[in-house]
Amino acid sequence: MIRSIPVKTFPRHSFFFGIFAILLLSLESKGADSKLDFTQDIRPILSDKCFFCHGPDEHERGADLRLDNAKDAFADLGGYAAIVAGKPLESELILRILDEDDPMPPEKSHKTLKSEEVELLTRWIVEGAEYSEPWAYVQPKKNSIPKVGDQKWPVNWIDRFVLSRLESESLQPSLDADPVTLIRRLHFDLTGLPPTPEEADAFVDGKTDFDTVVDDLLASPHFGERMAMYWLDLVRYADTVGYHGDQDHNISPYRDYVIRSFNENMPFDQFTIEQIAGDLLPNSGKWQKVASGYNRLLQTSHEGGIQKKEYNAIYAADRVRNVSAVWMGATVGCAQCHDHKYDPYTIKDHYAMAAFFADIHDDGYSGNTLPANRQPEMLFLTDEQEAELAKIEAEIEPLFDKATQKSLEKLDVEKAKLVASSKVGKGNKKAIQNKISEVDRRIASIAPAEERQAWAQLHSKRKAIQKEGRLTMITAAKPPREMRVLPRGNWQDNTGDIVNADVPGFLGSIPVDSRTPTRLDLAEWLTNGETGVGEMTARVFANRFWYLFFGTGISRSLDDFGGQGVPPENPELLDNLAVHFYESGWDVKAMVRFLVTSRAYRQSSITPPELKERDPHNQLVARQSRYRLPAEAIRDNALAVSGLLVDQQGGTSAKPYQPIGYFRHLNFPVRTYKAHKNQDQWRRGVYVHWQRMFLHPMMKAMDAPSREECTAQRPRSNTPNAALVLLNDPTFLEAARVFAIRVLAEGGDSIDSRLNFAFREALSRLPDPEERTVMTSLLKATRADYENNPNSAASLLENGMAPTPMEVDPIDLASWTAITRALLNLNETVTRN
Amino acid sequence: MNTERPVFDNKMLDTRRNFFGKTATGIGGAALSTLLDRDLIGAEEKDGDIPKPNGTMKEYHTPPKAKRVIYMFQSGAPSQQDLFDHKPKLQEHFGEDMRDHFEMTQRLTGMTANQKAFPLAGTKYKFEKHGEAGIEISELLPNISGIADEMCLIRSMHTEAINHDPAITFFQTGHQLAGRPSMGSWLNYGLGSMTDDLPSFIAMVSRGTGRPNCQPLYDRLWGSGFLPTQHAGVKFMSVGDPVLYLNNPDGFDATARRRMLDDLEKMNAKKLEEFGDPEINTRIQQYEMAFRMQTSVPELTDFSDEPQHILDMYGPDVMNRGSYAYNCLLARRMAERDVRFIQLYHMGWDQHFSLPTQLSGQCRDTDQASAALVKDLKQRGMLDDTLIVWGGEFGRTSYCQGKLTKENYGRDHHPRCFSLWMTGAGIKRGHVHGATDDFSYNITEDPVHVHDLHATMLHLLGIDHEKLSYRFQGRYFRLTDVHGHLVKGIMS
Repeated sequence: MIRSIPVKTFPRHSFFFGIFAILLLSLESKGADSKLDFTQDIRPILSDKCFFCHGPDEHERGADLRLDNAKDAFADLGGYAAIVAGKPLESELILRILDEDDPMPPEKSHKTLKSEEVELLTRWIVEGAEYSEPWAYVQPKKNSIPKVGDQKWPVNWIDRFVLSRLESESLQPSLDADPVTLIRRLHFDLTGLPPTPEEADAFVDGKTDFDTVVDDLLASPHFGERMAMYWLDLVRYADTVGYHGDQDHNISPYRDYVIRSFNENMPFDQFTIEQIAGDLLPNSGKWQKVASGYNRLLQTSHEGGIQKKEYNAIYAADRVRNVSAVWMGATVGCAQCHDHKYDPYTIKDHYAMAAFFADIHDDGYSGNTLPANRQPEMLFLTDEQEAELAKIEAEIEPLFDKATQKSLEKLDVEKAKLVASSKVGKGNKKAIQNKISEVDRRIASIAPAEERQAWAQLHSKRKAIQKEGRLTMITAAKPPREMRVLPRGNWQDNTGDIVNADVPGFLGSIPVDSRTPTRLDLAEWLTNGETGVGEMTARVFANRFWYLFFGTGISRSLDDFGGQGVPPENPELLDNLAVHFYESGWDVKAMVRFLVTSRAYRQSSITPPELKERDPHNQLVARQSRYRLPAEAIRDNALAVSGLLVDQQGGTSAKPYQPIGYFRHLNFPVRTYKAHKNQDQWRRGVYVHWQRMFLHPMMKAMDAPSREECTAQRPRSNTPNAALVLLNDPTFLEAARVFAIRVLAEGGDSIDSRLNFAFREALSRLPDPEERTVMTSLLKATRADYENNPNSAASLLENGMAPTPMEVDPIDLASWTAITRALLNLNETVTRN
Repeated sequence: MNTERPVFDNKMLDTRRNFFGKTATGIGGAALSTLLDRDLIGAEEKDGDIPKPNGTMKEYHTPPKAKRVIYMFQSGAPSQQDLFDHKPKLQEHFGEDMRDHFEMTQRLTGMTANQKAFPLAGTKYKFEKHGEAGIEISELLPNISGIADEMCLIRSMHTEAINHDPAITFFQTGHQLAGRPSMGSWLNYGLGSMTDDLPSFIAMVSRGTGRPNCQPLYDRLWGSGFLPTQHAGVKFMSVGDPVLYLNNPDGFDATARRRMLDDLEKMNAKKLEEFGDPEINTRIQQYEMAFRMQTSVPELTDFSDEPQHILDMYGPDVMNRGSYAYNCLLARRMAERDVRFIQLYHMGWDQHFSLPTQLSGQCRDTDQASAALVKDLKQRGMLDDTLIVWGGEFGRTSYCQGKLTKENYGRDHHPRCFSLWMTGAGIKRGHVHGATDDFSYNITEDPVHVHDLHATMLHLLGIDHEKLSYRFQGRYFRLTDVHGHLVKGIMS
């Protein structure tokens, strides 16, 4: 709470004192300099404490009273009303709150009103009890840019909104962060990777300017990887099915699609449409089909004995939860069993939304196969593979006509089978040999030798490329299943009404005349501002972009814009950003550029205690935020600094080293984890194999979610497990060793020059004298130990598969590994400042 | 490049020394931990023998009886008809179709829904009355029978799910689908921790010998769901480091580690002084906690100080790391070290086929050690403040799955009634609660729902299950959702 309201001990059990306090208050309120705001100050209280029984859900409603809209709250209830504007002592709401015999909220609700909350309600009634529409359901509108006192600070209009708010609170923005902090912040925020020392120097020395750096980073292919880290959390992307046997499923091309889309700066509306309904687009191409894999990302169960109807209901609800959380910032999932308690979503709205997805048939789920049987899938080839294939086709084409090619292919398969069976020694050897010769004769008869050889070569190349292809789940519409409202969410209850696909009633409808709306209609409704809720969707994402670059949302509830969410602290700014994003044609890179080139973004993240106390969640933006890097970036940073990082974009998932026995309790089938023994070992975190039930322990320790549900905001914990990971996970040990090899090879010959090198690589700066002393003494003490015990040195270096060059002295290397390990474990190294 | 980093950041923080003075007292000394949510000051205040909570709760809602929980979860669903709920009628009507006796209204799993016949399968095992209480228990469990006078046997458990994943998730998190916090993490969140040296919530898994192809178990069963990550249970591994990444790499001994941590702390502390970011302080303390766990965990898992007669109590498997017996003894040692929630899982109780062979293996794995743990706690005076639960995720059918013979049969899943036993803090001893009909098909007396069990367990730990809640996506969630009644009949 940012407004400071004095806390008094309120004698809630004394009606007399209650009245006394109110009278005092109504006097006070005359002197109050600003009027209370329903959205900011009142609705959160009513929603949290009253709406459960006096809100939208008619089944729970007590005393036939609603407090969530003005009409009902002011209605005459037979000589009295819940709220009488201006008259708290005639308002039943207040009287009941103060009634010591039968107070509201009732004891059994386990909710109590704090004294300051009662004061606020009272003051609000005194001030006229003005209701306003829930902020998130009002179309965002462009507000005029506020005037500010300090004309020098703002760079773009974001800053004017921020500054105006700060000035009204008599606060000042923080100074700009120092250039080292800034360049690191930019690199981590936009690419998830640290700057190289050269990049850092160029910026610190003023050889590159801020805007150019931003442009370069936005153009980097790592931008897409960084944005995908977040997007994949939202849509709950994982490599396994999540329930029971947690088998793998085929989906990695979808991840490539997400990365590619951000890199190509695909407009966000198109990005949305392709995922929800890529298969329904006219001329749906390869990437649109891959994108439609979005609908298949949910958790599925392949447990023997499951009842299909039950799981159809579970999957339907899962899709509603996700699509509403991701694009609407709404918890429509709460209306699965009853009307929403706090928001106007009805149970019918829930099932009508589910009906959009009723054309997806989750069939063929039986059997505990690995990967799981999750039709429909398609064979995916990368653009490069396709180009190569096209080249081959072009070369093949002039050789033979289509029919001949077909026959050749058939004969080729036949021959391959025969050869295979002759190898395993099945059947009569001679007979098989004869058959092979016969096939050869037939081949020779339809094609002359020279062309045939050329064809055979090309054909085998073609097959090799096709073999490299990956399967990926896609959506393929079928006639929709009947969708009924399930009373109390009970899938065995067939008495509910049949519903058609539709959007939540209070948000409008889809103009489709007589046809049934489809997923494509839903996706367009989500992104079109004229026929749908486009600007509202833009507001959900403007808020999340803010979170990505400022560490917290303008509304802190990134996944709940409903009555129980936290209203935005600076709603005008949020609205303007939403409209800006929408009007830009959903230009994601432009949006990101706009945010990070603001002055507000450049502020230092140092937080004086009084500011921390006043604004713990950084809602006023009088500073930047500092927080531990996300899991993937911690991995990427260690790999990048050591030089191990493999830059390959896209592809199958990577399997880093993992403790033995970690998958021991998975079954159907039994799983043995095989860490990659090739370049895949050192790929970025965004590509790490995501096992929902047993997420890689490094990722888990650093708060990466299991991706069972939409995660809009990861927790940021600070635990001993995380310390143990950074200290002892073989990935980090190997990174430290390889980093030390670099220090020895590239850092000159003196301790000082080597420390300089190591610090610049890890922290983009030089060590200060104190750090130099500490590190030098650590190095010397460690070296003395290893000199006494060279075997220890040798065994410390036995980790990971990256080679150590022969010429490196083990004692040197082991001693320097202590330094590089310390650096990789430093708070500063894993923190975005 | 500039040789000096610009330092104007520091100038903003003119009160930083004050700040530092207040918060940095723990550096290098006693370490706090967010994992353990430990509040050292709070922990000093005691309420009888049970320390005050130091999690989100600072006072108990109701006087606690239990200081800790040991939950021996039997994963796969042990057959009540063959272990705890004797039904002579099933033997009398052996082989007759269940539908000839009454209308089957239950949901059937996809595994037997299409079965042509539902022949009644009486148990092939003898039951006898045990203890002064005269509780009828199967001959498969001679040792557990021996503690009949300690236990409260609930024959009237029931649940909602009929397949393993949702049912076990329901038991551990109060909800059938993934995403909710496990019971242990609720306790971590609500009550905090009683120890500085070990995690407060530990899970251990052993594999059954009865059915090697057993139902899987998953991280989410001891996960923190939507609660902050640090409340998740720490799973002890049965191979490699007991706690993931606990051990120093080879060639890096404790002295080297200490030295590195000291220097790391110096460097981090310097930044703390410069920037006053409390997270830095927390990080320093987490490294200290990690360091202490390197001593406390090996000490915990070293059984060399256990006398032979204690080892013998737990049975021949006790020294085999990863066995149920080993985990039971480890559980006692954790209990002594103030771990609050100790969750054991024993896999392999899913007897669809070859029940007699499989079940005898499962009982051999668990019978002796389960009873030993209870007796061992009792002789140490710890049974009175330890809440013990033994049971699976649902029951099994009285009709046979697959082919029925006198010697061999199997049972499908049955959620409508099953047995589970408890003992220890606040629980009636030598008592049977609830009953089922002659076919173990329905409950006839005192049904206990999973939510009721949860509500009661929380109550014994001093928590009102309706009050311990967490707001997530706008809603207040509880372990018991919007259900749960205290089972007064099982409480002493």
